[in-house]
Amino acid sequence: MESKELILEVKKLNTTFVSDKKETRIVKDVSFAVKRGTTLAVVGESGCSKSVTMNSIMRFLGRNAKVEAESIRFTAKRADGTAEPHQLEGIKNPNGAEMRALRGPQMSMVFQDPMSSLNPVYKVGDQVAEGLIQHTGISKKQAREQVLELFPRLGIPDPESRIDCYPHQFSGGMKQRVVIAIAMICNPELIICDEPTTALDVTIQAQIMELLKKLQVENGKSIILITHNMGLVAEMADEVCVMYMGRVVEFGSLEDIFDHPSHPYTKALLRSVPVLGLADGQKLETIPGITPNPADLKPGCEFADRCAECTERCRGANIPAYEIAPGHRVRCVQFDHFPEVD
Amino acid sequence: MENQVTGIKERNKSASASLLKKNIRKFLNNRLAMVGLVVIIVMVAACVAGALMGVDYNTPDLSNMKAGPSGEHLFGTDTIGRDLFARVLYGGCYSILIGVLCAVLSNVIGAALGAVAGYFGGKVDKLLVRVSEIFQAFPQLVLVMMIVAIMNQRGLGNLLFIFVITGWMTTFRMVRNEYLSLKNETYVKVCEAFGMSNRRIMFGQILPNVMSPIIVSTTTNVAFFILQEAALSFIGLGVADSTPTWGNILNAAKSVAVVTNQWWIWVFPGLAITLFVLAINFFGDGLRDVLDAKQQ
Amino acid sequence: MLKYILKKILAMIPMLLLISMIVFFGLQLTGVDPINFMVSPDVLSANAANVEALRDSLGLNDPVIVQYFHWLGKVVTGDLGYSFDGSSIAETIAVRLPYTFELAGWSLLLSAIIGVGIGILSAIRQNGIIDYVGRVLAVFGQAVPQFLVGIILIQILSIQLGWFPAGNRVSPGAASAFIDAVQHLFLPVLTLTIGMVAVLMRYARNTTLDVLNSDYIKTARSKGIPEWKVYLKHGFRNAMKPVLVIVLFRIPMLVGGSVVIESVFSYPGIGLTMTNAITSGDYPVVLITTLIIAAAMLICSFMVDVLNALLDPRVRLGE
Repeated sequence: MESKELILEVKKLNTTFVSDKKETRIVKDVSFAVKRGTTLAVVGESGCSKSVTMNSIMRFLGRNAKVEAESIRFTAKRADGTAEPHQLEGIKNPNGAEMRALRGPQMSMVFQDPMSSLNPVYKVGDQVAEGLIQHTGISKKQAREQVLELFPRLGIPDPESRIDCYPHQFSGGMKQRVVIAIAMICNPELIICDEPTTALDVTIQAQIMELLKKLQVENGKSIILITHNMGLVAEMADEVCVMYMGRVVEFGSLEDIFDHPSHPYTKALLRSVPVLGLADGQKLETIPGITPNPADLKPGCEFADRCAECTERCRGANIPAYEIAPGHRVRCVQFDHFPEVD
Repeated sequence: MENQVTGIKERNKSASASLLKKNIRKFLNNRLAMVGLVVIIVMVAACVAGALMGVDYNTPDLSNMKAGPSGEHLFGTDTIGRDLFARVLYGGCYSILIGVLCAVLSNVIGAALGAVAGYFGGKVDKLLVRVSEIFQAFPQLVLVMMIVAIMNQRGLGNLLFIFVITGWMTTFRMVRNEYLSLKNETYVKVCEAFGMSNRRIMFGQILPNVMSPIIVSTTTNVAFFILQEAALSFIGLGVADSTPTWGNILNAAKSVAVVTNQWWIWVFPGLAITLFVLAINFFGDGLRDVLDAKQQ
Repeated sequence: MLKYILKKILAMIPMLLLISMIVFFGLQLTGVDPINFMVSPDVLSANAANVEALRDSLGLNDPVIVQYFHWLGKVVTGDLGYSFDGSSIAETIAVRLPYTFELAGWSLLLSAIIGVGIGILSAIRQNGIIDYVGRVLAVFGQAVPQFLVGIILIQILSIQLGWFPAGNRVSPGAASAFIDAVQHLFLPVLTLTIGMVAVLMRYARNTTLDVLNSDYIKTARSKGIPEWKVYLKHGFRNAMKPVLVIVLFRIPMLVGGSVVIESVFSYPGIGLTMTNAITSGDYPVVLITTLIIAAAMLICSFMVDVLNALLDPRVRLGE
């Protein structure tokens, strides 16, 4: 796999939060990569730092967060087709000019809750146009034209009148389309979707997911989809990154994860998904226990306390990831006969 | 089954015990709040001890009128020669008593009315909200002054009464809003489904969830009423002059001559009020940090 | 929008009536002879023999309710009655009310600018120097009784340094009315401002913090716009509304404070008029001053509603 094909490559990302002079490491040695034009799904239970990981890459975290990484390489494509790599880990100011130049035209983010992601006091059209005007310097009128063009593509009907509405006049699904419009307007290559449909009802969920899939296929976008819905993963993803308590426990292609789930946590996640045609009397399983508090974690595998296959060795100090098939990595001592990878 | 139930009960108990321990530890770690608590305790103890020992706050030392601080009169004497140290101690008892009593009573009334309005809603709610709006149409001090005018008598009891009936509105609003949102919670629905009486749901089930903000507001209200009493006494509409309160002592500072020449007459009671209010505010902020569930 | 404003104005009228009733009947309970509300004491003493007839003709032997409407009718037409010392209340009010407006208005303006400014700055640089100093000042500002601040200011700036007069509003024979006004207003305005700033700063800080932690600020950042735009366009505009409401909500506190501060500086405003009237039992004056203050408060809360509506598209568009 050539690095040119990777739009985003993250190596050993660590995010630490400081509160009351106590440091808590939330994201631990996270490594993953996204291929250009594909979808990477990041899955895991609530509170396993999926969002924090993405916010660390976009540098949206507050002053009390410390983001360190061996490498975060974002490779943009110039108009002539040559690659233009950016090393994000070296950027000091999270909201400085370098980071800002990337946000919008190169990478953007769709947030979880459309209800609160839009500024209530401005018209939606102006909110969408704002980023475009910022990065291209075109006039307000031209920007408006482009917004009018974009809205129907995102399934917002009657753009001429909708563009001058305020967010409170939109339904949740429509708001999320506007949020996607804000993310799309500068035509970025990478879109990070942070549980884009969790706050919406089921029929709208399907519409939004379809929309994202269409954008990806038609425009060759790369998407990182954060979700805890395994069904969505099966539908959308090319590759899957399973996270638990701030660590990547398994990473592989969709087939790797669904056909050969290897980490006990991945298996448990898959067993807890309802499948059509569940045999009579077959119970849907749950994962016992709850995610522990990151502040009082013990050394060793974070999942050990809830794991059915736990052994003494799981409590040991350092557990590396093992590559059990090309591109399929698992962080579990069961696989120590395979080669270790970073 | 039996076992499981007691198991859950015990676990709940130990969980709440450890939460209490955690809260106490958190409070002890809050340095400002601890300083506040210590200052409050020391000042209350000094004032009460002074009053119990029967310090003489009322007999003028005619040979020592308007005397500065000295060994004999620690804080000096006032315009007619009364010992200021004794007056500040004695006044502290009254001021703190007024503050605490008014804060507790007005919060109890506000919380009870707020619970009724928020839980039952409908006409009762409308009426109570209307009444609180009328009360709030006045600046509190003006309302107090108006009632002072109507009562036409300046006693300690009257002042307590006036402060309480003019001071319940903020607690009322807060508790009402909490009840409005809490009464739709599932656990309240469950209690209703069990056929629990309204009174038990309101006070047994919902109230404990609203207790923290009530406790915090009671604490900060103590400071508020002490300041209110001082302001009212300063303009001469507080408790009768014969009762020393911190505000009444400061009343002497209305005269420019006293402000200019006898600094000790207004500096010491002023310091006492400031210090005590400061301590209460620190203590209240600490309590808020510990009790505010949103921060945990 | 116009309909909304009209509705709010109409809602104020019963409120005012109710308040006037409460005050009127409340003061009736004190047992003061209300004939003094309507007739100058000079007239009263000159015609002592005719008092009973006068009472009848004035309707003072009527039931209290009738008397109330009688009095109300006069107040509405601008006849505020007479004080116990014989002066026309309307004349006193006409001179003193503007003084209080000056005092409260300048304090409000200054404290809003200073308090909100510091509050926002300390929210943006949370735990920075401004935040720290601001919080310490706020804590002290709320603990020292306001009148004590006034006394200390008089002691230092007026008595020790002699920069400002210690009281009153106008000095006879002042060369420039403007300089005279500034000199007399400076200390009381400063005193009130210190107290208000302490409160406003805290609110402005917390509101701004809330807004800055909201999701749409993250959305704004995701567009790659510069930080000052994020703060000004997205943060400030949204924080403005609750902050403005808080500023206006604090007006009752300001008026309450100015009653005390007018006493400290013997500043001849409505507050001092009311204080003196209560001390001397001058009920007609108490009645009118209380009503004026209540009316001012109602107008303020009306302004809060209208401003709220103007700033919020949800209310503005009538939904």
